[in-house]
Amino acid sequence: MNALSRTGWAIIIIVIVLIAIGGGYWWYASSQQGGKGATTTTKKPVKVAVLFDVGGRGDLSFNDMAYLGAQRAAKDLGVEVKYLTPKSTSDMIPLLKQLASSKQYKILVLIGFLWTDALNKTADQFPDQKFALIDSTTGVTRPNEVDILFREQEVGALIGVIASGMAYELNGSTIGAVAGMSIPPLWKFHIGYLFGAKYFEMKTNKTVNFLWQYTGTFGDPQKGYQTATQLLQQGAKVLYGLAGLTHIGMFDAVIDWNEKGYGKALAIGEDASQEWYNPKYIPVSGAKRVDVAVYTAIKMAVQGPWKGGIHTLGLKEGGVGIWDLDGVRYFAQIAYNESKTKLTPDQIVNIVKQQREKYIKPYVWNIVHELEQKIKSGQIVFKTPLTEDEYNSIIQQLQQGNLNAALAKGHV
Amino acid sequence: MSEALGSWFKGFLEQVRIRKRQYLLGALEIVLSALTGFLVAALILYFIGYDPWYIFEIMLTYGFSDLGYLGTRAAPLIMTGLAFSIPLLAGVFNIGGESQLYMGALLGLYVAYVTHNVWLGLIAGFIAGALWGGLIAALRVYRGINEVITAIMLNWTAYYTIIYIILVYLPNPKQSHLSVQIPVSEMISYGETFALAVVGALIAYFILYYTDIGYKIRVSGANPRSAVYAGFSPKTAIMASMLLGGGLAGYGGTLIIAGVTGSIDTTMSTLYGLGFTGIGVGLLGRNHPIGIIFSGLFFAGLIIGGQWVELLTGAPPYVTDTITGIIVIALSMPYAYRLLVNYMGRLGKK
Repeated sequence: MNALSRTGWAIIIIVIVLIAIGGGYWWYASSQQGGKGATTTTKKPVKVAVLFDVGGRGDLSFNDMAYLGAQRAAKDLGVEVKYLTPKSTSDMIPLLKQLASSKQYKILVLIGFLWTDALNKTADQFPDQKFALIDSTTGVTRPNEVDILFREQEVGALIGVIASGMAYELNGSTIGAVAGMSIPPLWKFHIGYLFGAKYFEMKTNKTVNFLWQYTGTFGDPQKGYQTATQLLQQGAKVLYGLAGLTHIGMFDAVIDWNEKGYGKALAIGEDASQEWYNPKYIPVSGAKRVDVAVYTAIKMAVQGPWKGGIHTLGLKEGGVGIWDLDGVRYFAQIAYNESKTKLTPDQIVNIVKQQREKYIKPYVWNIVHELEQKIKSGQIVFKTPLTEDEYNSIIQQLQQGNLNAALAKGHV
Repeated sequence: MSEALGSWFKGFLEQVRIRKRQYLLGALEIVLSALTGFLVAALILYFIGYDPWYIFEIMLTYGFSDLGYLGTRAAPLIMTGLAFSIPLLAGVFNIGGESQLYMGALLGLYVAYVTHNVWLGLIAGFIAGALWGGLIAALRVYRGINEVITAIMLNWTAYYTIIYIILVYLPNPKQSHLSVQIPVSEMISYGETFALAVVGALIAYFILYYTDIGYKIRVSGANPRSAVYAGFSPKTAIMASMLLGGGLAGYGGTLIIAGVTGSIDTTMSTLYGLGFTGIGVGLLGRNHPIGIIFSGLFFAGLIIGGQWVELLTGAPPYVTDTITGIIVIALSMPYAYRLLVNYMGRLGKK
C-alpha cells in the first residue's frame, strides 16, 4: 500500500511537471508570435556571419581584430553581423553546411587557417553562398570564395629598418627574430625583415648582424623564452616576435634581460598592437590587420566588385603596417578592461611615445617613410616564394647583400 | 533469432514489472534534477539580461535538428563516456579518457592513412587506446600508483607526443597546420560514425552484463571484498575495465578522424576536451552503456545548440558554456552523490 502510493505520487509529480513545462512553452510561443508580427514591417538589413577561430574572442589578437573589422562594416555598410565560435575543428564542416543551406547570410567570413580544410570540403556544394577565408588559402580558385592573404614582406621590411636603428641606439648592431614554424607566411616575414636590415645597411653604411631562429611552435612561451635568451646572449639588441603565443615568452625574456641587469634590449610585437604587454621594452609592433581583411571581404560581398580567388593586402591597402598610437591605445584599452595590465591606456600611450622618441631617431623614420613610399607606389614589389627552396635561395642572396633578389619588380 | 529476441523482450517486461517503483523513482529523479538545472540556468540568464526561454529554445531546436551532425558530435562523447564509466564500475577513476582518445586517434589515423582502410584504422585505434589505458591500470595494479595522478600526467604526455609526431613524422605538405589526411573517398559517413559508436556501446553493454568478465568488473567495483570472497581478484577486473574503457576511447578518437576531419590539426582543437567531457557524459548516463548513448546525444545537442546561441543572440560562448555546465551538473548530481556516499562508506569500513 505504502509502495503503491509512492509510485502514484511519482507519476503525479512527473505529469504535473511536464504539463507545467508544456504550458510555459505554449505561453511563451504564443507571446512571441505577437511580437514577431509587429517587427516584420521594418526592412531587413543584409546579414553576414563572422566565424571565429576555435579560441574565439578575448585573444587580444586575431579574433578580437576580426570583431573590430566586422563592427566597422556593420556601422559603415549597414549590414547586420552575426558571430559564431566553433567548439572544435570537427564542428566546422557541419556548421558551414547548415549556415550555407540556411541562405540567410550574404557571406560567411572564416577567421584563421583552421577553417581551410572545412571550407575546401564544403565550398563546392554551395555555389550560391559566398565565403571568405582570412589569412589562409585553400589553394583552389572558386567563383564563390575569396582567400585574403597579407603581404607580410612589406611590414617585415619596415620593422627591419626600425629594429636596426633601435639596435644602434642601444650601442649594438645585432637584431634577431623568434619565429614560429617554417611556413609560407613566416618565409615572407623573414624575407622582409632581412631586406629591411640590409636596406638600413645600404642607406647608412652601418653593418647589421641578423639572427633568425625558428622555434617550431606557435603555442609555447617557454620555448620562446629559451630561444630569446640564446639570441640575447649572442648579442641581439632587438628581437622581433613572430611566433604567436610563443613570442610572449620572448617578451618575458627581454624584460628579464633588462631588469636583471644583463644588458639592454628591446622587443617588437606583431599582428595586434602588443605594446601594452610592457610599453617600456616593447615600443613598437608590426600590424597585420585582420580587421581590414574582414572589412574588405564584407565590402566585396555587399557592395562589390566580387571576384573569387586570392586577394592580398599590403601597406597600400592598410592591411599591414606599423601600429600608430591610436591602435596602441585601442588594444591597451581592451587589455586594461580585461585586467591584463595595471597601466591605464593613457599611461601606456605616453610611455610608448617617449620610448619611440628615445629609440627611433628621425633619420630612421626617414628611411622607413622612403621605403614605405616605394612599396605603396608599387615602385618595388616583393617576391612571394612558392617553395622552401626558392625561399632559402632568396634568403641566401639577401645575406650576401643582393637586395634585388627579394624583389619581383623594381630595384633598389 | 526472433524467438530469442521475443524471450529477451519478455524478460525485459518482467524486469519492468518487478522494478516498476525503482524505474519510476529514477525517472522522477531525472525530471526533477533537469527541472532544477533549467531553473537555475534560467535565473542566471535572466539576471545577466538574456531571455531564458529563447536561449533554451535555440539550444534545443538547433542542437537537435541536424541529426547527422548530432550523431557525429555524440559519437566520440559516447566512447569517452564509456571510457570513464566502465572503469568506474570496477572501482577506478579513469580520467585518462582524454589521452586514450588521442592515442587512438593518432594510431588510427596512421593505419588508415597507410593502408587506406578505415576499418583497420578503427581496430588500431582501439588497440592504441587499450594499451594506453592498460598502462595506467598496470601501474595501479602492480605498483600501487594512484590512477588519477598517472592519468593526469599521461594526458599531457600524450598531448605533446602527438603534436611532435604530427609535426615531424606526419606533416601535411599542403596545409602546414594539419597532419596527413585520410583520402575523402575512404572516409565514413556521419550516419555510419554514429552507428559505429552505438555498436561500440552495445558491445560494452553485452560484455558488462552478459559475460563472466563483465560480472567480475561489476562485482569488484560494487564491493572488492566480496569479489575476493567469491574467489576472483579485483586486479583482473581493474585491468580488464581499463583495457576496455581505454580501447573504446581510442576507437572514439579514430571515429572522429575517420568520419569528420580526416586528420589531426597541430593545435589539437579536433580532439581536445572530449575526454574530460566524457566524465560528464558517463555520470549523466548513470554508468550504463545504453544510458550513455542518450546522454552523449543530449550533451552533443547542448554543445551544438550552444554555438547557435552566440550566432542568434550575440551572447558570448561563456554564457552557453555556463548554462550547459549547470544543466549537466544538476542532472548528474544525484547519481554522483550516491556514488560518493557509497565510496566513502566503503573507506570507512576498511
